[in-house]
Amino acid sequence: MGSMHYRRLPNVRRDGPDSRFATALRGLAVDRRDRIYAVGDAEVKIFDRDGRLQRRWPTSRPGCSVAVDEYDRVYVGETGQLEIFDATGRLADVWRHASRLGRVTAIDFAGGDVLVGDANDRAIRRYDEHGSFMNDIGKNNRMQGFLIPNGVIEFAVDRAGVIQAANPGKHRIERYTLDDRLLGHIGRFDGVDPAGFPGCCNPTNLAVDVRGRIYVTEKADPRVKVYNDDGTLVAVVASEGFDPNCKNMDIAVDSRGRVYVTDPVRLDILAFETEGAAS
Amino acid sequence: MSDGITRRDALGRVVRGTVLLGLGSTAGFLINKAEGQVVWQVDTSRCVNSRLGEAGAEVCMLCTTQCVVAQSAVRAINSFRDCGRCYVCPAYYNIRSAVDERGLPSEKLCPRDAIRRTPIGFVDPEDPANNFYEYVIEEEKCDGCGLCVKACREPLGLGSIVLKVRHNLCVDCNRCAISIACPHDALFQHKVADALEPTLARQPQP
Repeated sequence: MGSMHYRRLPNVRRDGPDSRFATALRGLAVDRRDRIYAVGDAEVKIFDRDGRLQRRWPTSRPGCSVAVDEYDRVYVGETGQLEIFDATGRLADVWRHASRLGRVTAIDFAGGDVLVGDANDRAIRRYDEHGSFMNDIGKNNRMQGFLIPNGVIEFAVDRAGVIQAANPGKHRIERYTLDDRLLGHIGRFDGVDPAGFPGCCNPTNLAVDVRGRIYVTEKADPRVKVYNDDGTLVAVVASEGFDPNCKNMDIAVDSRGRVYVTDPVRLDILAFETEGAAS
Repeated sequence: MSDGITRRDALGRVVRGTVLLGLGSTAGFLINKAEGQVVWQVDTSRCVNSRLGEAGAEVCMLCTTQCVVAQSAVRAINSFRDCGRCYVCPAYYNIRSAVDERGLPSEKLCPRDAIRRTPIGFVDPEDPANNFYEYVIEEEKCDGCGLCVKACREPLGLGSIVLKVRHNLCVDCNRCAISIACPHDALFQHKVADALEPTLARQPQP
């Protein structure tokens, strides 16, 4: 493990009723200006880079995931559909498909394509920018999909356009091309060594930064870690501060290297940065 | 008698009617008795080994130590409907034990080796993780210690393993020793008829 250390920052604020989630907090993303997007209940909330609530708007169904593209369009994954909003919160489009978009728990972009994770079918779907389905990813194997006893599909696309997808039932992060070729994997089971993934099924969620580092969250016990893209553990970001019953803690990393993680039990967003980073 | 009905026929009808009435009454009596009969069961939403929100709590073994039946009438069961069929099951393996040469935990969790792990279908020889696994609790070995129940509890597992009173083993004490000892009031009596309901949780009292 490297010598990098992280410190905890104040949580993203929830000092007013508008900034709080009432019953559920599921998805998290940051945009290119380091604004923080969170979905839960049936609402999108946007916080500035200092954690102050900037904007909020309702979604038609409870959001499971959120992502922001380079044009500041906000994609919200829900049950049976994907809602697309412009930067002001105006609904621009809805992609509906009961089976292909059964429960959308992850969204990311590669070139002009939109990738969505359907937890119901344990697969990643690739769409073009207009919403036309192109192909499945991660389904062409003996298990006919990812092994996700934890109930969410989670992935991120790195700068090279490679999909880094959590396969928690195998204790791995798998790499796929957009046309569904498995390039390899990193990770292994280990309940003692922090470099491994413990429990029945970890990591549950992940994010990738601009340098290609992979940030993961684990459940039971809640933990946040960073790996190099070759699978070497860089640092344990945090192993306390979360409700112990947390699982599927979504994670996002901004351009400054700040790490944001949801606590779905306490309905909080925790923030971390490296020791010595300029705040 | 006129119309061809003899005295013997009339007597036969009376006897048959009486017998049928008697059988009906007996059946009704038995049904009422069964419905009124109560049995002990574990409320999984109260049991400290299975209820949510108990992360870090020590396993409770009162069902094993307090039951008057030698090996306890409480046994663990795995609901296949809810089981994740994981490659590394935290109820089967001691997931804190050292990893062996196969990349799996080197120790099992159950002290009585009462859980059987079987691959579903053939195992991928190049990648055993590429498989689902079935976990069956061998009840004749289980003594209801609850270790596997706690390990399977959310969020570590999916909560598919719970403790249940086996009525073929339970001697139906009027005052169940486990219920007296249980600090969470997780043992309760319910009607036999209610035992046929799918829920294991206690029904609200009127």
